[in-house]
Amino acid sequence: MMMGTNLFTRYRHIAPLAVFRIAFGAVLFYSTIRFVARGWVHDFYIKPKFHFPFFGFEWLHPLPGAYMYALYLVMATAALLICIGLFYRLASVVFFLCFCYAELLDKTYYLNHYYLVTICSFLLILAPANRFFSVDILRKPSLEVTQVPAWTIWMFRLQLCIIYFFAGLSKLTADWFVHAMPLKIWLPAKSNIALIGPMLAQPWAAYFFSWAGALFDLSVPFLLLNKSTRPVGYLLVLIFHTLTAILFQIGMFPYIMISATLIFFSDNFHLSIISKLRAWFTKRPESQKAAIFLPVRKNRQKMVLGILMCYFLFQLLTPIRFLLYPGKLLWTEEGYRFSWRVMLMEKSGAAFFYVKDPATGRKFEADPSGFLTPYQERMMETQPDMMLQYAHILQREYRRQGIKDPEITVQSYVSLNGSGSRLYIDSTVNLANEKETWFGHKSWILPFTDKQKLQ
Amino acid sequence: MKRNRVLISLLGIIGCLTIILVSCSKSNDNSTPPPNGNTDAVLVNLGTNIILPSYQQFATDVSTMNDAVIAFNTSPSLTTLGAAQIAFKAAYKSWAEVSEFEFGPAADLFLTTHFTNAFPTDTVTIINNLNGASYTIDGLGNYAAQGFPAIDYLLFAYGNDAVLARFTVAANAAGAKQYLAALTLSLKTKSAAVVNKWSASGGNYLDKFNKSTGTDAGSSLSLLLNAFVLDFDVNLQNYKIGIPIGLYGPSVLPKSPTKVEAYFSGMSSELLLAQVQACQHIYTSGSPNALADKVAATNAQKGGGSLNDAIKNQWTTLVTKMQALPNPLSTGVENEDPVINDAFTEVRKMTVMLKVDMSSALGIKISFQDDDGD
Repeated sequence: MMMGTNLFTRYRHIAPLAVFRIAFGAVLFYSTIRFVARGWVHDFYIKPKFHFPFFGFEWLHPLPGAYMYALYLVMATAALLICIGLFYRLASVVFFLCFCYAELLDKTYYLNHYYLVTICSFLLILAPANRFFSVDILRKPSLEVTQVPAWTIWMFRLQLCIIYFFAGLSKLTADWFVHAMPLKIWLPAKSNIALIGPMLAQPWAAYFFSWAGALFDLSVPFLLLNKSTRPVGYLLVLIFHTLTAILFQIGMFPYIMISATLIFFSDNFHLSIISKLRAWFTKRPESQKAAIFLPVRKNRQKMVLGILMCYFLFQLLTPIRFLLYPGKLLWTEEGYRFSWRVMLMEKSGAAFFYVKDPATGRKFEADPSGFLTPYQERMMETQPDMMLQYAHILQREYRRQGIKDPEITVQSYVSLNGSGSRLYIDSTVNLANEKETWFGHKSWILPFTDKQKLQ
Repeated sequence: MKRNRVLISLLGIIGCLTIILVSCSKSNDNSTPPPNGNTDAVLVNLGTNIILPSYQQFATDVSTMNDAVIAFNTSPSLTTLGAAQIAFKAAYKSWAEVSEFEFGPAADLFLTTHFTNAFPTDTVTIINNLNGASYTIDGLGNYAAQGFPAIDYLLFAYGNDAVLARFTVAANAAGAKQYLAALTLSLKTKSAAVVNKWSASGGNYLDKFNKSTGTDAGSSLSLLLNAFVLDFDVNLQNYKIGIPIGLYGPSVLPKSPTKVEAYFSGMSSELLLAQVQACQHIYTSGSPNALADKVAATNAQKGGGSLNDAIKNQWTTLVTKMQALPNPLSTGVENEDPVINDAFTEVRKMTVMLKVDMSSALGIKISFQDDDGD
């Protein structure tokens, strides 16, 4: 056994990890059940005729009908098993794979918090979170340990810090700071909420919330890391996420963050939570055990730490990959996803796709309702990569209807953060001939300029 | 102890901010009128002064049509037919004033475009039904053989002599009378039910409508604008103009004059005008509590001017364009009258303004799904 002395390999108490497992597993379980109960399995995966898979995953298709429900049942079960810590390693792998699969099927439903769930469930696979206060231990007492290498806890803390920090960085824009957009649009609509409602209608409210939000995102990682400011940091976490939960339709995200950030607290804090939980289940007083150290194989730990290094490098580079592209990020959305850009845009669009038969010269507009659900259509109308995928869907379908080489063009208008509708896509480009690439700029997206002539 | 001081001062700052916020919101209660209890004056105006009266008018006109049809069935003549046709036209135009509100009661009670105004009507099914096939008049399978387009066919298809013959000397005259009566009665029943559900004395959906404020999915403004924009974008723009002129469609089709709305009576252009005027009314009526005022309050810009002005001007333009449409529209489509394409172009501009500019200025998601955002 190796007793590491550096920040990541030295031993710490496992309690924060066990609480994280329980809290996060519970939230995953609840949100999976909620997803099914709201009919989204049907609306999102069974009803649509076509999907918008992520680049490189076009070979993935939804399972037929009932199997998709079965998948969510498996996911819910796995989440519950993670929570109680039964067959933990298997459950975390199963959850991660099922969730990834569902997410990769269709970009329409991409949300930052689904990405958060994806990566946290990946990290859970690496964490020995079932080795304390779990059903696995009742099953096999020899699994129990009290001390684990600190990296198993630190990886979650680091990940959460990255999320807040990049969310804060992405707010350092003129739209957010100078124009208080999009909160200036969103907040006045909430003026009927009790207590804070009248305040939200005030012009300064959008500025206050914009600035305070950015300050919160940028500072909260440090407040949570520092022992003396931690209570304040967590209080701010509570206030911030509760407010966003009241004001916006953002589902589980606030609750995920509120439960996940508990991991910053001390061993004693988590031990007291666990002893309270334990008291629910058994009246037997907790026996004071000697410290049991998680056996660590040096080479294996090195390998895992290597994987984590690559992982965090990826986490740091992904949000800044937008620098590879020219143009305004929020407009082109090139490098937008997986970057913790939350609540930055009020964006809506209208896209009219035209199909031309080069043989006859006949040109007509395609009826999107024949191909997409209204929801897919709306999301597609503001996201160029989805527009390209839709153009390819049209190309395939009209080829099947007998047009040899259908030309697909689009007349598209988008409004971003109150900019007013502007032409979005070069309507002369035949999208049927355009291809998706890794990191290649889509030259057919018209640039966002303040002086663009409006039609 | 330095750390504690940092902590205390941070808490102090939060406390001060809270006090400032609370006091500001209080002092502002006097200067800006707070929302009417828990309602929104714009919603109250829309519900009370526009939507409910429009449905009441529609129910009255449909009832009159039903009476005229009964009179016609009792003694079919050119006179009673003429009266029924006039009543039909009035009711159809009233439909153009309520088709925008396909949510809440109308959606629950199936007083929707799908059942009330599916055109071109399914003449094969209608004839089968007249000839004694069993049918449920407002059934799902019968959707394209009911509503105004079916009545349009029975009361107008191929001239008054042919219509009279269908209801007098034809072998299935009794079946025709029965079917026509069932069509108008179904509309009468549904429209009365919708009025009842909106009314304060009935289901009082009005109250729910007024109180469901905000812009989230499921709020009244979101429901209304989604229905309104969908009706304009899909029904008016695509079905009433785009498909007939061959610009729009699920498959490769040339122009199809028979696919206009109200093909047999030839009142297509009149109905288009009626719908555009109804939309204009919904948007502008009730100042200072009109929908237009809500848009104006956002200070949203369009083409260097105010978005609200741009939308108002475009309604005026559209009214002019619809007034200029050829009569009957189907002949114009056949002759590829450029006036129709011109109207389509202007309608398209309005679609963009409503769907993109207006919705984003108000923070309403068009084609909402009850999904989480982020």
